[in-house]
Amino acid sequence: MSDPMDTLLGENRLVITAGSGGVGKTTMAATLAVRAAMMGKRVAVLTIDPAKRLANALGLPSLSGELQRVPPAVFRQAGISGQGEMWAMMLDTKSTGHQMVKRFAPTPAKAQEILANRYYQYFSDSLAGTQEYMAVEQVRAMAQEGGFDLMVLDTPPAVNALDFLDAPDRLLDGLQSKPMQMLRSDAGNGIAARLASRGKGLVLRGFNRLTGGPFLTELTTFLTVFGSILDALKDASVAVQSLLRAPSTQFLLVATPARSNLEEALRFRKELTSRGLNFGGYVINRVHQPLPSIAATTQDVAEALKASPFAEASDTERQTIADALLAGLTAHNHLATMDATIIERLGLVDDATLYQVPLQTDEIRDLSGLAAVARSVIGK
Amino acid sequence: MVSTSTTDSSAPEAVTSGPPSPLERRFTLVTGKGGVGKSTVAAAIALHAARQGLRTLVCELNTLEQVAPMLGHPPSDGRVTQLEENLYSVNIRPAMAMEEYGLMKLRFRALYSLVFDNPLVQSLVRFVPGVNDLLMLGKAFNHERETTPAGKPWWDRIIIDAPATGHGLTLFRLPKIIADAVPAGNMHREATEMWSLLTDPRRTAVHLVSLPAELPTQETAELHAQLHALGLPLGLMVINKMPSPVLDSTQRARFTQWSQRPDDPLLGPLWDAAHIREQRVALGTQYSGTLARLGLPMIAFPHVPTNRLVRDDIDRLSQLLTRASAP
Repeated sequence: MSDPMDTLLGENRLVITAGSGGVGKTTMAATLAVRAAMMGKRVAVLTIDPAKRLANALGLPSLSGELQRVPPAVFRQAGISGQGEMWAMMLDTKSTGHQMVKRFAPTPAKAQEILANRYYQYFSDSLAGTQEYMAVEQVRAMAQEGGFDLMVLDTPPAVNALDFLDAPDRLLDGLQSKPMQMLRSDAGNGIAARLASRGKGLVLRGFNRLTGGPFLTELTTFLTVFGSILDALKDASVAVQSLLRAPSTQFLLVATPARSNLEEALRFRKELTSRGLNFGGYVINRVHQPLPSIAATTQDVAEALKASPFAEASDTERQTIADALLAGLTAHNHLATMDATIIERLGLVDDATLYQVPLQTDEIRDLSGLAAVARSVIGK
Repeated sequence: MVSTSTTDSSAPEAVTSGPPSPLERRFTLVTGKGGVGKSTVAAAIALHAARQGLRTLVCELNTLEQVAPMLGHPPSDGRVTQLEENLYSVNIRPAMAMEEYGLMKLRFRALYSLVFDNPLVQSLVRFVPGVNDLLMLGKAFNHERETTPAGKPWWDRIIIDAPATGHGLTLFRLPKIIADAVPAGNMHREATEMWSLLTDPRRTAVHLVSLPAELPTQETAELHAQLHALGLPLGLMVINKMPSPVLDSTQRARFTQWSQRPDDPLLGPLWDAAHIREQRVALGTQYSGTLARLGLPMIAFPHVPTNRLVRDDIDRLSQLLTRASAP
C-alpha cells in the first residue's frame, strides 16, 4: 500500500512547503523532491537560501538562480535507479525587485528611470513580501515552460507566512487607490498645490509637521514612475493567484513538535483555508523516536557492561556509567513521549493528514542521507 | 556555561573608559535566525535586569506575544503593562504607535483626526513601505527618551525582541535610509537621532542568538558581518538549546571506543540513547566553536527538555546571565 505522501507527490503539480523559521522547511522541500524523483518523476525543487551542505548533498557545489540538474551519477551512487530526474534552483529573493521592474516596465528607459530613483533601493528592500511573491512568479513561468511533473517550492519563514501572497495586492491597492491616482496624475510636483487648492492646506501642514515637506514630493516622483509597471504587474498577480489556487497545488505545513510551533501551524492552516488554498497536511519534522524501555537496575546494567569497552573499568566506574546510560535512555524517551503527546493532540483538533519525520541523528551529507529521510516520511 | 575568554575580555573594559559591558547598556536588541529562541533570550535578559532592581521594559514588535506568557503573565498587547516588580512589557502595535506619535507631534486630537482620517494620508500610510517598522522603532526610541521628573532616564533597560535576520536588518537600517532619503524636516531629525542611538556603543547593544546547528551558525556569521558593517554595536552571542552531555569526559572517552552497537536487548537501547545524545553534543561543540570565533562574549543556554518553556525555565536561564555578568 502506498503512503499518502506518494499520492500527494504523484497527483499534484506544485507542492509548497510553508512554516515558521528553523523547522527544516528547506531540507524538507529537497527531501520531498528526492522522494518524487525516486518515484520516477521529473521534479524541480526551488529553495530559499539553502545550507551549503544541502547543495553539496545534491552533488552541486552551490545552488544558484539557474536550474541545475542533480547529476544522475549522484543518484546512482545513492543506489537509486529509474528514470527520475531532479533539478534544483535557489529562488533569488534579493534581486527579484530589479527583475520585477525590468520585466514589467513598458520600456527599458522606464526601467532605468525606476532603478535610478533614490527611493527605489529602499523600496525594493522593504516592501515586505513582494520579492518572495515575484519568486512565485518565476515559478509560474517555469510551470508553464519547464515540463516538470512536479515542482516543490520552499517559502520564506515569516510570522505571517502568507503575507507574501498579499503583497502585490497591497501594492496594487495602494497604487490604484483614488488619492494615489490623483497624486500620480500630478506628475510629481503638484501635490502640495492640489491639496491646498482643495482647502486642505491644514492637512498638508499637519502631514508636513509629521514628516517634513520634501518627503511627499520625493515619494510622488517615485510613485509616478513606478506606476508605469502597474498593468503588467496586475496581470501577473492574477496569474499567480490562480496557480496558487489550482486543484493540483498543495500547501504543506512543516513544523517541529514544539507546542508554540504547532500553534503557529494551526493558525497558518486556518489562514490557508480562509484564502481558499489547498491544504495537503502537516509535516512534523524532527520527531524523537521512542527506544525500547528496559526494566533493569543499575546493577544489571553494570553487570552487562562487563561485555563492553567498560570491561576494564572498575566496578564503581561501571556503576556510574550504568546510571548515566539509564538516565540518558529515560531522558530520550521523555522527549519521545512529549513529541507523541503533542502530535496526538494535533490529530485530535485537526483531521488533516499528519506526516511524521523522525529526528535525524547524523547531519545529512549526501543524497543517500536525503533519500533515507525521504523514505522515513510516513503519513497517516 | 560561560566561555572564559568572554568574561576575561569584557572585564577590563569595565574598568577603563570603554563602552560598558553588553548587559549594562540601556538599549538592547535581540536578533538572530527565525526559530532560535530570541524571545526566550529577551525574556531571560529582562528578568535578569529586573532582579537587579533595574526598571526594565521588554518590547515585542507586533508579533504573537511570547515574553509575558512565558513569564506566567497575560499578554500585555499594545499598552505598557507592569508584569512584576521592575518588569514591564509591551507588544508594540503600529496603529497605536502612530496615534501616539501623531498626537505627540500634532498635539490636538482634532488636528490628528483631520490629518489621519484624510484618505490620501491613510493611503500613504498603508502603502509606503517601512512605515510600520518606523513607527514601532520610533515608539521604542521614545521610551528610551522618557525621563523621571528629576530628568533621569525613566527606563533603566529597554529590551527589544527584534525580528529575525532579514527583517531585522531592514528594521535596523531604516533610520539611516530615512535620514538619507528625506533631506530635511521632522522625519529627518527623528531618524538621525534614532540612528545615533542605534550606533552608540555606550547605550546600545545588539545581542545575537543562535542554535549550535549548521544553518543558524551560518546565518549568524552572515548577520554578524552585516551588523558590523552597518556599525551597530554588538553585544552577547547567546547559544540557545545547547545539548548537555549525559557522560562525563572519562566516560565519553570509553564510550567512543564502543563504536559497534551492542546486539543486546539491555545494552542496545542504552547505547542508542547515549549515541544519539553524544552526536548532538559533538555537533553542538563544533558549531559553538565556530560561533566563538566571531569574538563576542559568549553564553550558552542549555537545551531544556520541554515543548513549552515556563517561568522556572526562564528563571534558571536568567541566572546564567548573572554568572556571565559577574566580574
